[in-house]
Parts: sequence; C-alpha cells; structure tokens
Amino acid sequence: MSNDMRAQPSDVVRPRNVGASIKRTEDLRLLTGRGEYSADRKPDRPLHIAFLRSGQPHALIARIDTAVAQASPGVVAVFTAESISGDFKPVIPFSRMANYYATPIMPLASGKVRYVGEAVAAVIATSRYLAEDALELIEVDYEPLGALSRAELAVADDAALLHEEAGTNVLIAREFRKGDVAGDLEAAVVRVGGRFEMTRKAPLAMEPRSYTAEYEKRRDAITLYTSSNIPGIVRDAISESLGLPGHRLRVVAPDVGGSFGSKGSLYPEELLICIAARKLGRSLKWTADRLEDVSSSSQAFAEIVEAEMGFDANGVATSLQADVIGDVGAYSIYPWTCGLEPVQVVSFLPGPYKIGSYRGSVRGVATCKPPTGPYRGVGRPMSTFVAERLMDLGAKALGLDPLEVRRRNLVRPEDFPYRIASGIIWDKTGFLECLDAAAEAANYEQLRIQQADARNHGRLLGIGIASYAELTGIGSRIAVAPGMPINTGSETAKITIDSTGAITAAFGVASHGQGLETTLAQIVADDLGARFEDVRVIQGDSDEVPMSTGTYASRSAVLGGGAAKHASRILQEKIKRVSSHLLEANQDDIEVSEGKAVVLGTDRAVTFKQIAKAVYSDMKTLPVEAREELTATYTYDPINGTTAAATHIAAVEIDPATCFVRILKYVVAEDCGRIINPMIVDGQVHGGVAQGIGAALFEELVYDDDGQLLSASLVDYVIPSAPEVPVVDVVHIESESAVAGGFRGMGEGGTIGAPAAIANAIADALSPLDIEVSILPMTPERIFKLMEQARLKSRGKADE
Amino acid sequence: MKPAKFDYIAPTTVDAAIEALSTANGEGKVLAGGQSLLPLLNFRMARPAVLVDLNGIKELSFIKLRGDRIAIGALTRHREIEQSPLIASKLPVMAAAMRHVAHLAIRNRGTIGGSVSHADPAAELPMLSLFYDATLSVQGPSGRRSVAAEDFFVDALTNCLEPDEIVVELEFPVLQHSGWAFEEVARRFGDFALASVAVSVRRKSSTIDDARVAVMGVADTPLRLRQVEGKLTSIAIDGQTPDRFAELVTSCVSANGDLHASAEYRQHLLGQLAKRAMQASLAAKG
Ligand SMILES: Cc1cc2nc3c(=O)[nH]c(=O)nc-3n(C[C@H](O)[C@H](O)[C@H](O)COP(=O)(O)OP(=O)(O)OC[C@H]3O[C@@H](n4cnc5c(N)ncnc54)[C@H](O)[C@@H]3O)c2cc1C
Repeated sequence: MSNDMRAQPSDVVRPRNVGASIKRTEDLRLLTGRGEYSADRKPDRPLHIAFLRSGQPHALIARIDTAVAQASPGVVAVFTAESISGDFKPVIPFSRMANYYATPIMPLASGKVRYVGEAVAAVIATSRYLAEDALELIEVDYEPLGALSRAELAVADDAALLHEEAGTNVLIAREFRKGDVAGDLEAAVVRVGGRFEMTRKAPLAMEPRSYTAEYEKRRDAITLYTSSNIPGIVRDAISESLGLPGHRLRVVAPDVGGSFGSKGSLYPEELLICIAARKLGRSLKWTADRLEDVSSSSQAFAEIVEAEMGFDANGVATSLQADVIGDVGAYSIYPWTCGLEPVQVVSFLPGPYKIGSYRGSVRGVATCKPPTGPYRGVGRPMSTFVAERLMDLGAKALGLDPLEVRRRNLVRPEDFPYRIASGIIWDKTGFLECLDAAAEAANYEQLRIQQADARNHGRLLGIGIASYAELTGIGSRIAVAPGMPINTGSETAKITIDSTGAITAAFGVASHGQGLETTLAQIVADDLGARFEDVRVIQGDSDEVPMSTGTYASRSAVLGGGAAKHASRILQEKIKRVSSHLLEANQDDIEVSEGKAVVLGTDRAVTFKQIAKAVYSDMKTLPVEAREELTATYTYDPINGTTAAATHIAAVEIDPATCFVRILKYVVAEDCGRIINPMIVDGQVHGGVAQGIGAALFEELVYDDDGQLLSASLVDYVIPSAPEVPVVDVVHIESESAVAGGFRGMGEGGTIGAPAAIANAIADALSPLDIEVSILPMTPERIFKLMEQARLKSRGKADE
Repeated sequence: MKPAKFDYIAPTTVDAAIEALSTANGEGKVLAGGQSLLPLLNFRMARPAVLVDLNGIKELSFIKLRGDRIAIGALTRHREIEQSPLIASKLPVMAAAMRHVAHLAIRNRGTIGGSVSHADPAAELPMLSLFYDATLSVQGPSGRRSVAAEDFFVDALTNCLEPDEIVVELEFPVLQHSGWAFEEVARRFGDFALASVAVSVRRKSSTIDDARVAVMGVADTPLRLRQVEGKLTSIAIDGQTPDRFAELVTSCVSANGDLHASAEYRQHLLGQLAKRAMQASLAAKG
C-alpha cells in the first residue's frame, strides 16, 4: 500500500486519545445492568399500552366495538383511529421525487388495514397484563380485500390497490442513465447477467422498540423517552403533528439496545403514546414484545434485480444495466420514504468500479407487509451482492481470476475524485489498497492452492471476494434519502466548562451501540486539551441542542466528530485568552493539555477548575471584558461527505452430505480514514460481518400468499449465534479523508460486504457442479435443491 | 405478550401436586423447567386456571442405578444428565445426545419429565426413551402406573397422560452393545434437530445380533424403527452395510416438511445421518 494513503500526522499537538483503543465508557454500566433504557424509566403511576394488531393483510374495518374492553378491569381507555382523529395531524413522508406517492403515517389503522401486525386499537390500562386481557374483548369486523403478497403480482394492471388515492401500487419509480448502455452491451465481448434476489429480513435489535411518555401536567408538556436513533427527527415530527412547541416536547433517546435501522424512522406507536399521554394527562409506557417487533418494525431488502454487465476483451466492465423491483411493504416511512432502500440499490450499483455506461431503473411496490426501511448498509448489501456476482460471472467467462477482474475495474488512486456512472462521487479512498491488503491477509494464492487440492479430494471449497464503496458522513449538498425536505447534513456540538470546572459535551447524535460516548470524548479530549475521563458526553436529547437528526447513515463520527473538533478549538481559544490574563503570558505561548493551561517551557499553569473560578465566581481576578463564558457551540456540515471502502474475502466449505456452509476464513480490509478507536472499529466490523452472515446464510422473513408472517418468532427467524460466526481478521487502511479530522463513516460496512463475499464463495465452491448463486440467504435447503437439480442435469447429460 | 391470569400452587410432595391437579378439574398444568411451557403461556396458547409448580418436590430429582436399569427422576435437569458419570457409562447414547439439547442456560432449567411430557417430535429425550425402551412411572389420584415409552407419545406435542397425572420417573434398561452413534443436524448449534438418528449394535463376528434404531425430527413423534432393527440382524457386515442401512431407514420413514426443511431435504439428511451413524457404530471395537 502506498505511504501517502496513510493518515497524516494528526493536526492535534499531542493526540493522546484519538487513535487509541480506549475501553468504552458506556460498557461498565451496560454490562453490569446499570444502563437506563426507555423501559427502565419509572414515571409516577404510569399506564401501560397494548396494541390490538390486525390479523388481516388487507381489509376494510367495518366496525370496531370496544365497549366490553372499556369496562374490563384496570382499563382506563381504548383508542381507535376514530376516537383520536381530532388530536393530531397525519405525518407525511414528503419528497420532491417525481413518481412518488407519500402514504400518510397514522397512529392507528384508519378505515382499512394493510398488513398483518398493523395496530388497529390501543388499550390503556393500569398494567400490561390487564391491557392484554382487554385486547381479547375488542371486536373488529373486517371485510377482506385480498392480500397483495408479492411485488411482482402487485404491479399487474388488474391488481387490487393498497392505496386507492395513489392510483397504483408502484409508490416510487426512478431511472438513472448514463451513456449508451444498449450499444455498449451490444459491443461487449462478454455479457453476463441474472436475476438476483435478497429476501425480506428483520433488523432485529436486541432491545425491541420501547417508549415511555412522561406527562407534565403543570405545563402540558411531554418528555418522550424513545428507543430511537433519530430522536431529533421524532421531536420535530411529533411537535408538528400534535402542535406542541419544542420546549414542551422533549425527546430523549437514553441507552438504546441496537437499531440496525429498525429504530431509525418515526413510528405510529410513538405518535400514539404522545397523543394518549396528552388526552389522558398521564404518563404511559409501551415496549414491543418480540413478536410485535419482528412483525411491525421496519424490515429490510426484499428486492429482485435483473441485471446485466458487459466486458471488453481486456476484462474491463464497460456497461451495466439493472431493473430493480422492491417490495416496500404497506407504507412509506418517515422521513426517509419508501424509496430509501430500493432507490439506493440503483444509485450504488456501479459501486467502486469505472463502468462507462449505466441504466438502472427501480420500482418500489406496495404489498401487505410492514414497511421496509433503513437497514445497516441501506441498498448497498443488495447492490454489492449483484455487482460482485456479476464481476465473478464476468471473471469466469473471461477466464480471469476474480481478484484480477476487480483490479482491472476498481477506481485507481490517480482517478479520484471519481464520479461513477450513477452520479455518486468517490473522494480519494484506498479501493485498490483494500483489495491488495485483503488478498495478502487472506493469503489468497495459498487459499487457491488449498482449494485445488481440496477439489481433487472431492471437497467443495470456495473463495469469495467482495469490494464495495459507500458514502458516509453525508453533508447538506446530498440528501440522505432522495428529495427529502429535512436537513440531514449538519450536526451540533455544544461544549461547556461549568463553574466547577467540569466539561460537558452535548450532541444531537444518538448512539445506539456504536460507542459514541467514548469516541466523541476522545476527540474532545484531544482538541480541547482535556483528560479523556473528565469529558462527559450527552447525546440524543432534544433539549441539549436546538436541532439535530440523530445517528444513522454512518454519519456520527464524521458530523458529530467534526462538530466536536470545531467546538473544542473555539473553547480552547477562549481558555487561552482567559489564562493569558491569569498567567500574565502571551496567548501564543500557552498550551492547553490534560485539563490545564501551561506557559510553554515553564511550570506556570492554571487548571480548568481555576480558570472556571476566575471566569464565573471570583470576580476580582479578571477584567470584566475578559470574563468569557466557557462554552462553545459549533454546527458542522461536511457539505459532500466522504467515501468508505473495503474488500471482504471469505473461504467456505460446503458439506455435500448436509448442505451446510462452514466459513473457514474471513478477512476484511477496510478504509475508514483516520481511526478514532481501533477497538471500536474492529467491533463494528465484526458485528456487521455477523449480520451479513445472517443475510447470507440464515435470516428470512417468510410471508405466505395470504400475507401471514410464518417466521415471527426467533425459533423460526433464524439468526447466527456465536458458534456460527468465525473469527474475522480486520486490516485497516487509514487513508485520511478531507473532512474534519480525516474520519470516514464505518458502522455499516460489515453488512454490505459479507453477503456478497459469502455468496461468491458458495458459488465458487459449487462451481464444479455448475451451480450459480442468485438468491440469499443460501440456506441448506436451497443448496440442497440446487445440488439436486445439478445432479439431475448431469444425469440427463450422461444419458444423452 | 403476557400470560392470561392463573392461580399458582407450589406443593412440596407428589401427593399434594396430584391433589392440586385433581381440584383444578382439568384446568391445571404442571410447571417443571418452564422452558417450553412459559412461551406457550405468554403466547396465550396455554391458558391453565392453575399452575402447579413441581420445582419444590425435591424427591423427583435423582439419577440412580437400579439393578440393570437407570432410574431418572422427572425433575432431573438436562444439565445433570449431561454431566452424570453414571449416564456416560451406562447410557452412552443419551450422554452423547444431551449436548445437542438446546443451550446451557436452557439445559440448566429444563427437565427430563418436562421434555418427555412436552413430546416435541424433534426433542432428544423423547426419542431416547423410545430408543432405550424406557418405562415411565406415572402418578394420578388412584396411584402409580407404568407406561411404556412406546405407548406414551401419541402425536406431535401430545402424550397419553390424563389431566391429573404426572410423570414421576423414567427407567432405562442398560444396553450391552459393542458400538453406537448419535447423529444430528440442526440449523444452529443447540437448535431443535432437522433430523437425527440414534443407532446401537451388538456385533457377533461378521453379523449384528442385536440392534437399536430410532430417528426424530422427521415425523409427528420420534420413531423406533423395529423393522430396520430386525433386518439388520439378518445381514452380513461389509463395506456396504452403512449404505444398505441408510436405504432401510429412508425406505421405512417418510419425512415431514416445514419452514426449516422440506420433506425431500429431511429425507436426504436422514439417509446421510443413518449412514454416518452406522459407520461409527461399526467402527467401534466392543
Ligand atoms: C430456545 C430453546 C431451544 C430448545 N432446544 C431444544 C432441543 O434442541 N432439544 C430438546 O430436546 N429440547 C429443546 N428445548 C426444550 C427444552 O429441552 C425444555 O426444557 C423441554 O422441552 C421442557 O422441559 P421443561 O422442564 O422446561 O418443561 P416445562 O416447560 O415446564 O413443561 C413442558 C410441558 O410438560 C408438562 N410437564 C412438565 N413436567 C411434567 C411432569 N413431570 N409430568 C407431566 N407433565 C409435565 C408441562 O405441564 C408442560 O405442558 C429448547 C427450548 C428452548 C427454549
């Protein structure tokens, strides 16, 4: 790897924290049961909510009778769409995109239900037990309208409409075009293609969704504790919907037990709990059980892609076209819209490659399922699966090694910044460096020798590569989701030294497992000149900063970190000015470090505590005009954002007797710019790969033709557990980015690369049987079927 | 997901437990390790009026050698069976199977009485009770009776007990065999089996003169394959035996399909596992 790609020496005088594997501050409380999640809140005599959920996929609600339930023991109220209709405005996931219909978000199903699991009524009682007893006493008469169970059927002209007002089940349609794809494909020496599918998946955070609304009677105010990773967006949306100004609606994301995207949208239940709290003048609690979480939280993937790639004689990919159909479920999500996942598939499909011409078209189709929404990697697990399968198919047809075909097509160091065919611009990132480093760490050539040897003994060993690039830390010039009216391009840090000398750094970002409490404190400590352990980080609280959106899209290290750096610098300047009076020294001769201002080359120093006293309390030491409040606020906008990239290599073996896949080796070489905390980066990669293994081999939400979810419990929805996850080797390429601090976002990458790498490894393992991999997860059942078909085919050939 | 209302009784003797069940008049349910029952309660798929907790009845927890039989109390935890040296030496197939039963935390709570009573078609202990020709000792208001394992399992998740009866212990005759194997495939480590085969053989020079074969995970109940056992004693052992055995097993079982595995795939697994199991059983020097 070339040396200039390495991070430059830090711009911080003596970086003690950034770059160090500091143990996570939050872990002590989280691992010893002292964390505080939304469900741990104990407001005064709270009421509990239970939701009656639809068992019908698509039906008119003819009648709801709640009288008996109302009279049931402990029940305080039963709400339906009708009984709360005057208490809120629907939330509209607006977008400027053409060919998009925004389905309004309602707290309870109104007039019609559109998926099994949709909330129809809410019982509010003195305990959850009594509330669930009363659910059984609500009578609902439905007039079934027929399930729309598959996107491919829902686009038919005669299909019933899920949203009549939309006039179509295609809620979003888009096309990206560059160059003459048809012509280039025509001219291609090798054309490869296929129909690729990733089935529906659950994000499955360990903590299910959970809300506590604390009602404050004396000023008709609500504090909503929510297991959300977008508390700022939730605050703004509910404020608008309920007509409550921000100073009467505080939204806090306390400790949050994972999201993976499932807590990254506004939910009907969040609206309902606030409406009910106000209507009843009481505090309320609700936590989804696992069944509710799996069947009503936003889901992932559910896309089918028909794609084709053309190569010239040198193995250069010249052209790519794809038609994507996304099964987006029954509703758009707020604020991202139902376009979020499927549109990103087409916008990222060319990936890290220099492909000349491109056509990508996408349709997001409404079906009777919960909405799809953000899921770790958004669009890119699918786009990478397709592009990387095509690369391997191309390599096979061209007789090239899969490593070599990627080397010939990746954007090269001299090409950056590079605009790919779909329009995304990659800034300088170590694409080739990751490829080479992964190959070296995996001992790629040796692996190929091992594979040849294994094949000679009839064993099914395969090696799979996946390279990808992603956009992280997106600034205001690019929308996180297409055409969205909200600003996702900036974040604020507010750093204060109070009258005791204590340092508090407040952010709007909202860690839900990423360790931001640690990494942001590392940045503040270095840039302010404080001791790491003296910095308290507050996040995810709408009262702390005027505006924020939260943590998603691999943005918090870049945006939160950038804001932290700038605010720290401003505050450090203030400290220097104040201490120049106290130390009677020139400002330029003062260095701030380890919580002290020191006159360079002397032992004269003042601590932050002494400085705070001089500024706030002891009115004799400083001239009035030098008493600057020790606080700094900075809102950082990286404008464009920055790229992150990686190459994954997996080696697998398939047991022909059981059709099980065993992962023998897994290597990730990734470039996330300057690393703030290597231990946290490794952890994010490990966790992401584990989830990617889930997508590749295990996880699938199965809906039958009647719209019923067949895999609604964790007995049937199978996720990888510790024995199924191999040791993952992680190699870091630290090519500094152009944003503040040189960071790049890296929380999603593992999930992006792993499905494709494992799919390619399985295809490689099965290539002696002439089997291709085009659907994930590759369960033993699917492998069995493919091997059976191959057996029949070869028997057929032998008979000829 | 909260259970419907129920009364809770925690007797300390079997008699008191039976009395509580009788009084409940068919509306009672016993609680052992709770690993299968509590999810059913939470899903409101089971709605007993009275829950009779057996965990305070200390006399129901034991593993004993009784002549040429091993007796296990109904409240004995999976983990105790897994770690028992007596089980390891006298009922080796059971010992091998126990580590396939769920995960450690579940094995610490789950009981043999609960497992056989729950009668999951993919659970190890029901299958092993068939495999070993176990006798279940069952107590009701009119005293104790013995039930052969073969008669105990009626259907998926259904046993032959009356509502006021409980399993108090199981007796497993010890097999004097030369080779055995327990083979299982589950989606993940600790999951219920997609298919499983247990084999034990006694060799006499180049023939098998006694054999035990049971399978599970493929039908509504675990299955003892007596037909296959009979045929095994009439064939000479050679390199083809494992394949012949696999054919015998698959020809007399027709596997069920579900969300996790189709009937065809299960049938395939069954054959593969049978082959492996016979290879291992014959390889042992007894
Ligand atoms: C995640 C998970 C994975 C699992 N995987 C496996 C596996 O791979 N293999 C496997 O074998 N099991 C598995 N189990 C089930 C586990 O072994 C249970 O312990 C067992 O099925 C039930 O035992 P229990 O003592 O917990 O019974 P309980 O749950 O207390 O009771 C189960 C049923 O038996 C009845 N019952 C209990 N004791 C008696 C008695 N003495 N007489 C009459 N009726 C009685 C109860 O009334 C109830 O109907 C798994 C469980 C879980 C939660």
